[in-house]
This record gives sequence, C-alpha cells and structure tokens, in this order.
Amino acid sequence: MDKSAKKLGTKLPDNVKLLKDILPAEDVLVYTFRTADGKSCAAVYTDGITDKESLGELAAKPLTLAKAPKSREEAKKLLYFPEMKDADDAESAASEILAGNPALLIDGIAGAVVLGTKKIAVRAVTEPQTAITVKGPREGFIEDIKTNMGLVRRRIKSPALRLDTQKVGKYSKTVVSVVYLEGITDARIVEEIKERIAAVEIDGVPDSSYIAQFLAKKPYSLFKQVGTTEKPDVFCAKLLEGRAGVLVDGSPIALTLPYMLSEDFQSAQDYFVSPYRATITRLLRLAAVCIALFLPAFYVAAQLFKLQLLPFALLMTISGGIQGIPLSPSLELFFLLVVLEILIEASVRMPKYVALALSVIGALVLGDTAVKAGLVSSPAIIIVALSGIAAYTVPDLTGTLSVVRIAFVIVAGSIGTYGILLLTALILYYLLSSDGYGTPLLAPFSPLIRRDLKDSLLKTDIYSLRSRPAVFRGKNKTRLKVRNRRKDNG
Amino acid sequence: MDKLKLRQICFLFAAVLPVAKLIIYPSTLSYYAKNDLLLSAGLNFLAEGIVIALVMWLSSRTDRTLFDLLRYTFGEVAAKTLYVLLALFLLFSAALPVLEQKIFVMQVLYENVPSLLSFTPFFAVCCFACVKGLKTIGRIADISLPVFALAFTALILLALPHADFGALQPAGAAGVRGIFTGSLFGLPWFTECLFPLLFLGHFRYEKGGMWKVLAAFAAGAGAVLLYLAVFYGIFEELSILSQYPLAHIAKYSTIYTTLGRADFLFIFSIALVCIFYLCIPVQLSVHCFRKAFPHLAPVFPAAGANLLLLVLAIVFNYSFNAVQTFMMRYAFPVFLLFCYVLPLLSLLLRKKPKAGRGTPEQNAKAARKKTARRRAARIARLLRRQERREHE
Repeated sequence: MDKSAKKLGTKLPDNVKLLKDILPAEDVLVYTFRTADGKSCAAVYTDGITDKESLGELAAKPLTLAKAPKSREEAKKLLYFPEMKDADDAESAASEILAGNPALLIDGIAGAVVLGTKKIAVRAVTEPQTAITVKGPREGFIEDIKTNMGLVRRRIKSPALRLDTQKVGKYSKTVVSVVYLEGITDARIVEEIKERIAAVEIDGVPDSSYIAQFLAKKPYSLFKQVGTTEKPDVFCAKLLEGRAGVLVDGSPIALTLPYMLSEDFQSAQDYFVSPYRATITRLLRLAAVCIALFLPAFYVAAQLFKLQLLPFALLMTISGGIQGIPLSPSLELFFLLVVLEILIEASVRMPKYVALALSVIGALVLGDTAVKAGLVSSPAIIIVALSGIAAYTVPDLTGTLSVVRIAFVIVAGSIGTYGILLLTALILYYLLSSDGYGTPLLAPFSPLIRRDLKDSLLKTDIYSLRSRPAVFRGKNKTRLKVRNRRKDNG
Repeated sequence: MDKLKLRQICFLFAAVLPVAKLIIYPSTLSYYAKNDLLLSAGLNFLAEGIVIALVMWLSSRTDRTLFDLLRYTFGEVAAKTLYVLLALFLLFSAALPVLEQKIFVMQVLYENVPSLLSFTPFFAVCCFACVKGLKTIGRIADISLPVFALAFTALILLALPHADFGALQPAGAAGVRGIFTGSLFGLPWFTECLFPLLFLGHFRYEKGGMWKVLAAFAAGAGAVLLYLAVFYGIFEELSILSQYPLAHIAKYSTIYTTLGRADFLFIFSIALVCIFYLCIPVQLSVHCFRKAFPHLAPVFPAAGANLLLLVLAIVFNYSFNAVQTFMMRYAFPVFLLFCYVLPLLSLLLRKKPKAGRGTPEQNAKAARKKTARRRAARIARLLRRQERREHE
C-alpha cells in the first residue's frame, strides 16, 4: 500500500514519523510543545514559507495556556486562525505543509489541523515594465496568485466572477486558476480550457508560458495563439468582453483566450484618450508593423530588381551611399538585422550599468565605424534602425516580427518583389486559417464582423460600444445601457 | 455548410474576380473589338450575370451541394465522375491565368528577365491554400476587398486625367462580328460564373441574396469596364501592343517626379489580390477531387494539381501566345459548356434524393416519410369509405 495514503492516527510520534517519512527534506521542521496539562503537540511546517511568528502566537501559545483539547473541533476553538481545515490522511497534510500551511498534531487526536499561515516573500504590486502607460492604472500582476486573484476581484465585485483552480505539475503542484464571468464567457471555451489544463501531466510549471503552449491550438506556430497581459485592468476588461483568463502561481503574466491578432495593436492607454487619438495611434502601430516587416525587404528588392520603385533623387543618394560596399544588398541587410537582434538580446540580458556602454559601442562605434570602413552603407543602417524601432511599437509582436522580417529579406534578395508578395500571401493564408477556440485569429477583419470593428484598429466613442464582441459568441451580448442620455452630453 | 458567407461571395465578385481581367485581357480584347471593347466585355458580363443570377436562384431553393444534387439525380458514381471532370476543367481554366500572371510578373516586377524559378514558389503558396480548404476563399475575399478597392481607385485616379474617352467613339465601328468575336474569344477570362455553383450548400442563403451578389458582380464588372475605358482612352491605337496595361496605365502621372513610381505600390497590391485569384480555381479543383475521393488527404490532390500546373508553366514557358491562342480560338466551347451550359443544366437537377440515392440517414428518413404518407392516405381512404357508407 502507498504510505502517503495512510490515515493519521491518534499517536503523535507515529503521526510525526509518518509525515517525516513522506517529507524527509531538511527544511521540513517539527516544532513540539506541550499543553498546560502536559499533552504533547507538534506542528510540522516548511521553513521559509511559513509564518513562524503567527504559528507561535496564534497556535502554540493558546494551546500551552489551556488544557489539552479532546477533539479537533475543540482545538480549533482554542486557536485564533481565520483559515483552518482538517486533514485526515498524511498525503493531504503533506501537500499543505509544502504549500506553507503547517499541520498541527495533538497527541490523542486523530488527524491534523492545517493552519493557514503561509508566508511567501512577494514583491510589491508595481507598474509592469512591458506595459507602461502615461494615463491609466499602474498596477501590475505579481508572482503570487492570491494577490493576482485579489487584484481581479477588486475590479469585478460580482458573484459571476469565477476562479476555478486546479493544480498542475507532478512535482511543482502549481496552482492554475481559470478566471471567467459566468453568463458572459462562452461555457464551451471555459470547458475546453479546463480540459486542456487537466490533461497536462508535466513535472513542473515554472511560468504561465508553459500553460499557454498547452492551450494553443498550434503550439508550433510562429504567431501568438494566446493573449497575455501583466495589467489587471486589461485582464478584467478582456474578461468583461467575454474572454476567459488563466492565472498561474509564480507568474506575473496572465493569459487570455480566445486571442485575436488585433488585440496586440491595442493599448490600455487607448481607452483613456479621445477615440480619434486612439484610432490614429492604432493605425500608426499598423503602419509601424508594415514598416518593420516590409521596409528592409523592399529596400533589397528595389536595389536588386526594380530600381524604378525609388524616386530619382533618392536613388542617386542611395547609389552614392552604397558605392564600394562589398556585400550584396540582401546580405548587407541580413547581416545588419542579425547584429540588431544580437544588440537587443545583449541589452536585455546584461546588467543595467553596462547597458549605457553597450549602446555607445553598438550604436556609435559599431555603426559609424562599419560605415566608415565601407563594410555597410549608411542607408542600410537607417533602414534597419527604422525597422527595429518600428517593431517595438507593438511589443507583443516584436519576436515574431524579427523572424518574419528576416524571412522577407531573404525572399526579397532571392526572388525580389514577387517573393515579398508570395510570402505575404502565404502568411495571410496561414493567419486566416488559424482559429482558436472558435475565434478566427484575424477577426474582426477576416471574417469581417462589422459590429466588432468599433474597437479593433478603429476606436469609436464609448456610447457605440454597447455590445460585447460578437466573435466570442457569449449569450449575454449587452455591456452598456445609458439611461436618460442627454443630447447636449455628446 | 457555412464555410462561406454570402457577404464573402459578394466581396469575391466585387474585388477578387475582376483582377483577372486587368492584365492581358484588355489588349487581347482591343485586338478583336477595337474601340468597341466595352460592348464586347459588356456582353460577357451580361451572360455571366444571367448565369450567376440563376445559380443564386438555385441556391435559394436548396441547401444541398452540387455534388448532392448530382448524386440525387444520377447516382454516386456519375456524381463523382462529373466532379472529376469539373476538377480537371478548373485546372485547365487555371492554366491561362497562371501563365498570364507568370509573364506579367517576369515582365513588370523585374528590371531584367528572371528565370522561371522566380515564379515557382507561387505553386507552394497555392498548394498551402488548397490544403486549407474552401473557408480560406471567403476569408481572403474579406481581406482583398479593401486592398483592391484602395489600389484600384488610386490607379484609376492617377490614370483618369490622361484618358481621352473620345477614342471610344464611334460605337459599333468594329462591327457586330468584331464585338461577338471579342466576346467569344474572351471566354477564358469569364469562368467565374461557375464558382457559385461549386459554393452551393457551403453558404447560407439570405433573403435578397441573389440581388446582393448581382450588385457585387455589377460593381466588379463596372470596375473592369471603367478600367477598359481608361485603358483604351490612354493607349488608343496602341492598345493592342500594351500587353500589361496595369503597369503602365498610371505611369504618366506628374506626381512621379517627386515620389518615384509610387503607383508600383498599388500595382503590387493588385498583384497580391491576383495571387489570391489564381488560387481560387485550383482550390475549387482540389475541393472537387476531394468530393470525388473523400478518403484522400487534401495534401495529395493539392500537390498533384499544383505539380501539374508547374509542369505546364515549365513546358509552355516560352509559348504563352500559343496557349492563349489555343484557349481563345479552339477551347472556347469547353468554357462555354462548363461555365454556362452546366450551371443552366444544374437547374434541372433533383433537389431531393430519390429513394436509395441519399445518405443512409436521408434514405431512412425518406422511407419513414413514405410509410407515414401511405398510412395517412390509407386512413383517409377508410374514412371516406366510412362516410360514404353512412350517407348510403
């Protein structure tokens, strides 16, 4: 018989031995004390994640001052904990101990009382580095799931908000919570997410990105399949639109499903500025993505295959700049794009105090010297720099854009403009045939859903956003009703 | 069902299908119909419009696919045989536009003449599209509409000031023979009236659907006629020699002195839509093959169809004119048969299965209905007899 399934008996030494057999690790400690009438008690806990002060003050102290309780119910009345539960077998007690909740064992009483004294070092709720806004809330998710759940609950105080948790990871036992609004999120989406998570048998889940891969319909895809956010306000807004969310303990990145590509062109700040400004900004982001993708490729294609693309004066300037460059335009651009990727990768990884030196070396010394040495041309550097900067207007797509951009440069160098068109067609065919959880990746543009265009690349005023996006197929469609709206109010 | 939306079929007619007529067709048509090219093309559009209207009317009467209708009428084997023939015809009809696009790409998108290798990746893209099925045809139409509308409008606006529409006068100068020859020999560019027949059962017919599709078709036809008018207005007598007018129609605009050939961006956009257009007949061909051989994985007919087109492109790499002449002068009866006669004949097909020609569920349902009908008739007979006896 499996020893972890053993029941906890009435003899304290046997129970302590049983738990220590299951948890032989050195950081699992046993704190023993006696009640006022001399009965032995023990609290088995994990060092480092248990609040020992609370354990002493709220559990040991009242018991040492009182007579030994005769049952677990009586013991609970003596303790001052708001969060307590019973554990009858050694396995459940052990898993609670590993989660930071000590198991209190009393000689003569069968089973254990689990005390909620988990104390994990968490960082403060700060503004996430990946989604900084000038206007709008500045809170961000942290690594503690309980805090994250609280941040969500603070924004949606409704009984419809459901947080269904399950543990994933054979060894890590990571808490994963599926968050949704009952009646708003399509139940089929929630069921599928839960089924996919429940089907996972993995050693551990270090981050939500692991879960994201299990939830993706095409995990090998170059394009994102699952939405991500670090901001609770964005997360809640997506829940209210009819999406489901996933919070993973140990990760500040929350997942949202279903995902559409147009989400990445939106920013939290768009909802705090005028709709016109938001629309222009979103279109600017789209233009920036096009620049990031196509500019280097068209530069190569124009030089190699179709010089007429460039205005004559610009052509003369460029031809002056590229004279004497030993590399072909495609090789030159490819080389520069690789250098750009190396610089970005190094600047992310290296300590902050070295970053300044790197920018000087990278941008000034390397670039300037390479041009002066005649290795690369200055137009090529400008093109690559512009493309690199443009890609960062949509931070969630930067990784994908980098790879696709290099692919475009390769086809432009080998086939020319027609290669660019063919690769564009291929990518479009791929994207528009990618559906996740019943939602097309390119919605609301393909398939065209007119009602959902109001908050896609365009942003209309708040009065127009009366219904939730139709693409999510939720039953509750209305999200805004304005009573007695006066005409002079807009 | 519901692989396509009615809206997507409309977009297809308005934005994707007209692009095929913007490349070599205008100069070919002006060879036969001269300044009456609008009349000649108008006749083709009229014929196509009638066929499309009838097929849309058929779609309002049944939610079954063409394959189902053929099976109900002629049985499974005949339906499969006809679908194989349709698949082969679609591949045949795709050959000319593919070769046309190849020549266009090689002549217009490159300064020097590239090798055939520059064009071959198209077949990989097309194969990928074929594997993805019918759904992508509709979705690509959603994407194509704004791209085509923007690019086409820009090109026409740039070209319009340079067109002398007086060149289209006097109407009828080419004679009836010239106009009809232009229409008849132009049939290889008017194959899209077959497409709605293959979409039957894959979209939900909405009220007024026929008029919506016809309006979209009229918009697409209007765009092509406008383009033809501008084309003849600019090139006039030289129009026969202007084989790729898409690349030249807007190049006389004065804005290029400062911007370079900015019209290339619009030409590229239309070339992108043209890629989507070229994929459609091949996708439909693969769809037909899959209907005929349902156990075949889609990748095999997709690869086979594209391989066949690639071989054609290699074999006829330097003989496009011969292919064009053959298609126009000798193969037009084939186009007439498949694109015009077949859709008309399809109106006569059975909409409901004959006993034993549906799926097992349909057969069982039909048998149950038949039994119930007989029982009801028998009861009615008995009641009538009883009433008669009571009267007597």
